[in-house]
Amino acid sequence: MQKMEKYMVLSKKKLGVLVERFLKEFQVYGPTEKNGIIAFEKISDWSELRLDVAGVPLLPPKKIFFPPEEVLFTFKIRNNNDVEIGDPLDKIKEEKRVLIGIRPCDVHGLTLLDKVFISEIVDPYYVTRRKNTIIICITCNNPTEYCFCNFTKSGPSIKEGFDLLLTDIGQFFLVEIGSEKGKDIINSNSDLFQEATENDLIKRDQKIREVEEKLSRNQLTGANELYQKLIRVFNDELWNEYGRKCVACGKCNFACPTCHCFDVYDVMELTLKEGKRVRKWDACHFLSFTRVAGGEIFRKERISRVKQRIYDKYCYPVDEFGSIFCVGCGRCIHVCTAGIDIREILKKVLGM
Amino acid sequence: MKNVYIPDIVTISEIREETPDIKTFKLIFKDKEVQRNFNYKPGQFIELSVFGYGEAPFSISSSPNQQNFFEITVKRVGDVTNALFKLNEGNAVGVRGPFGNGFPTHKFEDKNILFIGGGIGLAPLRSLINFVLSNREKYGELTLMYGARTPKDIVFKKEIETWKKHVDVHLTVDVGDETWKGTVGVVTVLFKEIEVDPKNTVAVMCGPPIMMHFVTKELLKLGFPEDQIFLSLERLMKCGIGICGHCNIGRKYVCKHGPVFTYKETKDFLETAI
Repeated sequence: MQKMEKYMVLSKKKLGVLVERFLKEFQVYGPTEKNGIIAFEKISDWSELRLDVAGVPLLPPKKIFFPPEEVLFTFKIRNNNDVEIGDPLDKIKEEKRVLIGIRPCDVHGLTLLDKVFISEIVDPYYVTRRKNTIIICITCNNPTEYCFCNFTKSGPSIKEGFDLLLTDIGQFFLVEIGSEKGKDIINSNSDLFQEATENDLIKRDQKIREVEEKLSRNQLTGANELYQKLIRVFNDELWNEYGRKCVACGKCNFACPTCHCFDVYDVMELTLKEGKRVRKWDACHFLSFTRVAGGEIFRKERISRVKQRIYDKYCYPVDEFGSIFCVGCGRCIHVCTAGIDIREILKKVLGM
Repeated sequence: MKNVYIPDIVTISEIREETPDIKTFKLIFKDKEVQRNFNYKPGQFIELSVFGYGEAPFSISSSPNQQNFFEITVKRVGDVTNALFKLNEGNAVGVRGPFGNGFPTHKFEDKNILFIGGGIGLAPLRSLINFVLSNREKYGELTLMYGARTPKDIVFKKEIETWKKHVDVHLTVDVGDETWKGTVGVVTVLFKEIEVDPKNTVAVMCGPPIMMHFVTKELLKLGFPEDQIFLSLERLMKCGIGICGHCNIGRKYVCKHGPVFTYKETKDFLETAI
């Protein structure tokens, strides 16, 4: 994406007007609060948006592009000799969406998922939703004790992967343009935006420094050595503790912005003449995950499943995609049933 | 852009019973153009849909020289295979693929080939053996070691007889019966019966992980270089395109990097492959 050197400002009030305009044309998704839980949901009024919450929504934005459960196709069995298939993609193609209030770590998570879903072979559902969705990112203004994006280099600010980037600078948001789509939004709503001054940029940098300061309490370092060290400790005893502690509930898998595993199965209507093929998020922590027909399970020991997830974040993707698959959002720490802190594991691996 | 998750419809044109729980299904795409463009290599696999029951991966057991149809040889062990076994000739199922790398047959040229199969693992090897036989002059001596549970469980019985003209065939069963006059024991006992020159021979195997583990050990003892031992691995490939995660072994995805790996490659997985 070509970065355009143009900065605008948008008053907080006028952001409301912009969102109301979006609502007329798009499905709008953003962080909302319900019963004390922050979640990315479809909104119908701009006042539902929560842009200054601490940390990130419970489930990552992958659910907007790769839903927890989705129909891959429908089928009608005419008779045993003929089957008619319905492709849901046409409907998905018509959707136009805006995702607003996504933090840099989560945008980073989406760019990592892109490497999996949009490679030589393209996942049509994911890529269609990615193309249909405008990304309006907000520079992180409120990290939590779980956050460690300073280690994964995926926050609190971001250089690409968004159409527009907002940074809270007090009365205003500083607005950076990340794509042609972003430029179009500014152009067609030019009454809401003003050109930014040098002072606004200074305020932005100050804001980012403040957040970086907060994040510095997390003292994990040495990301560059992680890959080599992981290869060395694959059979180390350090894993035993986590094999014992982990309850293999799969919450860390589901809460992870880069976990992409899914199961595939058929669901039949009661008529037994019609049905659908469905995919559903799956978790490498589950015992059933590697079961093949006949009953063999390749990762029977829980320790092997704990390792699988860690290695599939910090080691295997480095070979396959050239980057680690962790954005430091801390969701896996937040949700862990057994109280496992992935940063502690990393510290042990790194010999800290 | 073709939706990679949507199968093409194929007709089951013939069903052959190989053993009490293994059948070979001859399949033809309904769409003639899809059938014409369906090119595959020995060792590749397809995802087969029995609508209403789901999808599962199967090795193609026919040779790519067959242009008008292809075959899979299936053991009844799970939901999809149980449903498949209830279907009749003429019925429709779905197919996606072919997927995976297949056997690197160009690397086998001018070499002797030792095929080693266990149980239903002979299915992908049948594709390879028939492919090799139709280009016989390109390869050296051919040897097959095959093990089944009992004499009744031996697949491709008639075809194995025809292979004997060109292939030095050695069979064994775990448990014999009154009709069985041959070798009894696991596949590795057949090493006593054969003579191979590890310097100019590739070993190609498919079977249960435990069989491949012990066969590989024997091959290494015989002096086979690690990169001349080819394994076709089994995992539950659900998507076939490297996304769903089920077939991952350490650093590799069986569906897109495999299912065929050299033993040398599997040593770099970190996780144990066999």
